[in-house]
Amino acid sequence: MPKNLKGREVAEIMQDKCIACQICIGVCPVGAISMEGNTVKINPEACIGCGKCRDVCPVSAVLFKRPSKKKLTFPQQKPAPLEDYKGVAVFIETHNGAAADVSWELAGKARELADKLGVRVSGYLAGAGVEPLAQQAISYGCDDVYMIDNPAFGSYIPRVYSTALVQLCRQSKPEILLIGASPLGRDLAPCVATLLETGLTADCTGLDVDLQERLLLMTRPTFGGNIMATIFCKSHRPQMSTVRPRLFKAPRPDPTHKGEIHKIDFSYPQDRLPHILEFTATALEAGAADITRSPVLVTIGKGACRAEHVPMFQELADMLGGTIACSRPVVEAGLMSYARQVGQTGKTVTPKIYIGIGVSGSMQHMAGIQGAETIVAINSDPAAPIVQAADYSLIGDYREIVPALISRLKNKVANLAGSKP
Amino acid sequence: MPDTAQVKIDPDTNTLVRTGVESICNPYDVVAVAAAVQLVGKHGGKVTVISMGPSQAEAALRECLAQGAQEAVLLSDRSFAGADTLATSYVLSQAIRKIAANEPVDLIICGKQAIDGDTAQTGPGIAARLGYDHFTYVSQIFEVKPDEKTIIVIREVEGGRVTVTGYLPALLTAELDLAVPRYASLPEFIRSLRQGIKTWQAADIGVEPERAGLKGSPTWVKEIFTPPVRKGGPVFDFSRDGEKAVDEFVDQFVVHEAGRIAAILSVKA
Amino acid sequence: MKEEFDVAIVGAGPAGVSAACILAEAGLKVIVLERGDFPGSKNMSGGVLYGHDLAQILPDYMERGCPVERNIIESRIWYLSREGGYSLGYRDDIFSDERKYNAFTVGRAKFDRWFAAQAQKKGALIVPSTVVTGLLRDGNSAVTGVVTDREDGDVKAKVTLLADGINSKLAASTGFRSEPAPDQVALAVKEVIEIPADLIEKRFNVSNGDGVTIEIIGQVTAGMDGIAVIYTNKRSLSLSIGANLQDFVHSRIKPYELIEDFKKHPMVAPLIAGGRALEYISHWLAEGGYHAIPRLYGDGYLIAGDSAMLFNSLHREGNNLAMASGRMAAQTIIEAFRRRDFSKNCLAQYGDKLSNSYVMNDLKKYRRFNGFLYWHKELFGTLPELASFAAREMLTVDGLPKKFKQRMIMKELRRRTSVWKLFKLVWQGWRSVK
Repeated sequence: MPKNLKGREVAEIMQDKCIACQICIGVCPVGAISMEGNTVKINPEACIGCGKCRDVCPVSAVLFKRPSKKKLTFPQQKPAPLEDYKGVAVFIETHNGAAADVSWELAGKARELADKLGVRVSGYLAGAGVEPLAQQAISYGCDDVYMIDNPAFGSYIPRVYSTALVQLCRQSKPEILLIGASPLGRDLAPCVATLLETGLTADCTGLDVDLQERLLLMTRPTFGGNIMATIFCKSHRPQMSTVRPRLFKAPRPDPTHKGEIHKIDFSYPQDRLPHILEFTATALEAGAADITRSPVLVTIGKGACRAEHVPMFQELADMLGGTIACSRPVVEAGLMSYARQVGQTGKTVTPKIYIGIGVSGSMQHMAGIQGAETIVAINSDPAAPIVQAADYSLIGDYREIVPALISRLKNKVANLAGSKP
Repeated sequence: MPDTAQVKIDPDTNTLVRTGVESICNPYDVVAVAAAVQLVGKHGGKVTVISMGPSQAEAALRECLAQGAQEAVLLSDRSFAGADTLATSYVLSQAIRKIAANEPVDLIICGKQAIDGDTAQTGPGIAARLGYDHFTYVSQIFEVKPDEKTIIVIREVEGGRVTVTGYLPALLTAELDLAVPRYASLPEFIRSLRQGIKTWQAADIGVEPERAGLKGSPTWVKEIFTPPVRKGGPVFDFSRDGEKAVDEFVDQFVVHEAGRIAAILSVKA
Repeated sequence: MKEEFDVAIVGAGPAGVSAACILAEAGLKVIVLERGDFPGSKNMSGGVLYGHDLAQILPDYMERGCPVERNIIESRIWYLSREGGYSLGYRDDIFSDERKYNAFTVGRAKFDRWFAAQAQKKGALIVPSTVVTGLLRDGNSAVTGVVTDREDGDVKAKVTLLADGINSKLAASTGFRSEPAPDQVALAVKEVIEIPADLIEKRFNVSNGDGVTIEIIGQVTAGMDGIAVIYTNKRSLSLSIGANLQDFVHSRIKPYELIEDFKKHPMVAPLIAGGRALEYISHWLAEGGYHAIPRLYGDGYLIAGDSAMLFNSLHREGNNLAMASGRMAAQTIIEAFRRRDFSKNCLAQYGDKLSNSYVMNDLKKYRRFNGFLYWHKELFGTLPELASFAAREMLTVDGLPKKFKQRMIMKELRRRTSVWKLFKLVWQGWRSVK
């Protein structure tokens, strides 16, 4: 491999193969490639050895081999070669002895990815009094369950959990590790990723595998949701990803599925550990229902943020069998609690019917309702972004539209309910 | 941190083009600085703000100085460019190590997340590297005892909030409630304007270039695309057609969504 | 606030910063208070700057890296009807070499920041994100500093320079300047359209970073007294169109519609084709002019720039007059420090300097021009149509003899106006700018 004066291994063009298409010139991030007369040349002193030119050359005319990365991790641990990492692992999040739904959702996805790759699914289960969950994990698709059942894991202490998970990863060497993007998961994942010096892509909205390269492809919105990016982690393992709850549907548990349970002994020195003094549950408002489970959401936006109209919205919601939700400005105005907030910084919802009243449809809000089956927009502004995406839009003053809607629907819905056998 | 509305992507590296785009201070970071300043006001000590970014990040640092921070450090080096959170937490933790070598660091406060990238991973990553305990989603600092090196914070978690106690040094990531940003007094503001901002490069903080920036980032962007847009459906203009619009809508809606509505109602029943 | 200053300047625009440069150079302790987050954030105009004026303040402005968009080598005036128009342009190579930077376009955000940085380099303290809410006065009503919206925010200074721009609430509230009457106000919209540099150079037939300015009147302002301009920047075009506020009120035309139609004009559209709108600003500006100038000085204070209404309405940008007045204010202040006299007697020099300079002379000269335009709306409606009709007929070759065409044109003229009226118009127009 040719080296430049700095001692870095650089790429070189094999002139007999090169067809001077110049694609490599466009792709070089440091502009090290140029046309000289009829030949394409790489300036060795400018080349940073990223290998992109080799990746894009249609005729494989670039000579380059990526040098093996020096692994200087802390604590110093030489990672195993990439090929040693096999299997898809899922972190099973638990609270008070019960598993979080997202864990099973991810188990299902892990099964799907593992089947494509031809590998096993491992569940990493850590908690206090969680032994019964191990069998549940197997029924959701895990071939192996690595279980740490220890009082130290009764509440989430980042240091304890991350050390345990890192140990599990080093032992079982999964090529992929999935963690739910719950508040706990979003806290735990970066610790583990940093300690393992591997790449983590957070809040993914899509997962797939590239079988040729044997890579996990992770899709997520970025820059405030304006753009989607597909990300991969080429040379580090495990490839880590956190996934938002309710993105994937949990599979049907299969009690006949067989798997192995491995009990792991894990202890952690108890001194100078943070500990929880108390937990206060936020009181739910009277009649509040979990908006993520409601099939119909009547969502109040900034344009309809008036307390005196809430009973009217409630009536609409009740009639359709749904719940009231809201957008961020409404929470910030103090009209509704954060528990009802829909959107990127609120909850992701997948109702059958979503009715947005006075909701403009910002990127952040739309990101939270992408999974809605039918979107109805009631807005006075025909140019509001939500109108461009809504399946039905009613343009006008909601104070007039909603009462008219309620009375019309009363009749029709009653008919439907009556007509149901 | 670039203003989201003016984002440009460098097609070659699929990373953000930052030159010339107005940088504004991330609102979570502003809150983090305000919280730090309040703590120091109460217990004494010094607030240093650190930012890794191109020279435009200076404006954001000045905003932090104006909040009352005593010192500002800009980590700027070509090798830092294109970093994902692993590389970012590496560079930041190296800078903190350098500061800690001269004066003890008790507390690190970060904003909960950045608006660009939205990954919220850097805080915990820094804590992991430095071996500090960390607390995320902190909405209130209940108590700090600098002599005993203890801290009690309140974290927002699923279903409620939890009061946790831990030992310093520690790292917190701030919720917007954590503190109210101040509008500095004129003498303070002027002092911050006259204040120099230290700039440290890779060599100053012992950063190995292969572990920083694009090269130190294990995750690569394969492609960037605009999300598939839902296509809008029929529009019923109430302001023009009045009740007729509602009638038409209801007719269509009930016909097409009958299945869904009936299913809902049967569930309800 | 304990710290005191020699001079407090309100506003970090061209007037304020020009004064700051000169005052700081002279060794005075200067503070400049700016409401925006950075100098230029609140400034709207596109900008043509004259090198001469800038050189009076920073002779080495190019060496200091002044962010020039394009050096203007050609100025055009268009008189447009709905579908066509007359174009008169003057281009001269002398503006590319010997008289380079006689006039050049700048981007206000970039330029103002660079300019303020120069003042800082000379030692002035520029304080952004701070609003001046009032003035400090002593027992004799002399101004002794300013009050800001920050805690402990009183700034004591021996002389205060008000340079806070056209919409200066401060000037209005302190009685130095009254609120402009509605017919003294114009409403303008500006759009910046991104176009690649080589395309600009092709369309305007320039090279080497040179540029063109186009000033336009006619039917583009839909019968209202107004003006439009097109400036070339490095990688964009600045389009601006505005008219008298009273006219807008009567015509009920929305500014947004005005600029949209303007962009569609057959002489404008090809210049901006394929471009991407980068920003859109709508703003009002006092029409200014000689009659609107307030009291410019008093005990302990001076007023410069747009705040002093030192500009010639829509029809001439205020940047250059602002810089000149800022410079003269600074010179006056330096003299005041020499004499240790900050009363209006000493500061009166400022008025003299302005009167003797081109600033006042030009303003006085053009003082009737605004009125002329306002009262002759036919300039924006019937006349361009008539002029277009005449040109169209004369240029169309359809077998009709020229004499016949001439008669046709005269007939049309008499139908819409009269030869006498036209003469009067020309006469009055000439007199208004004499």
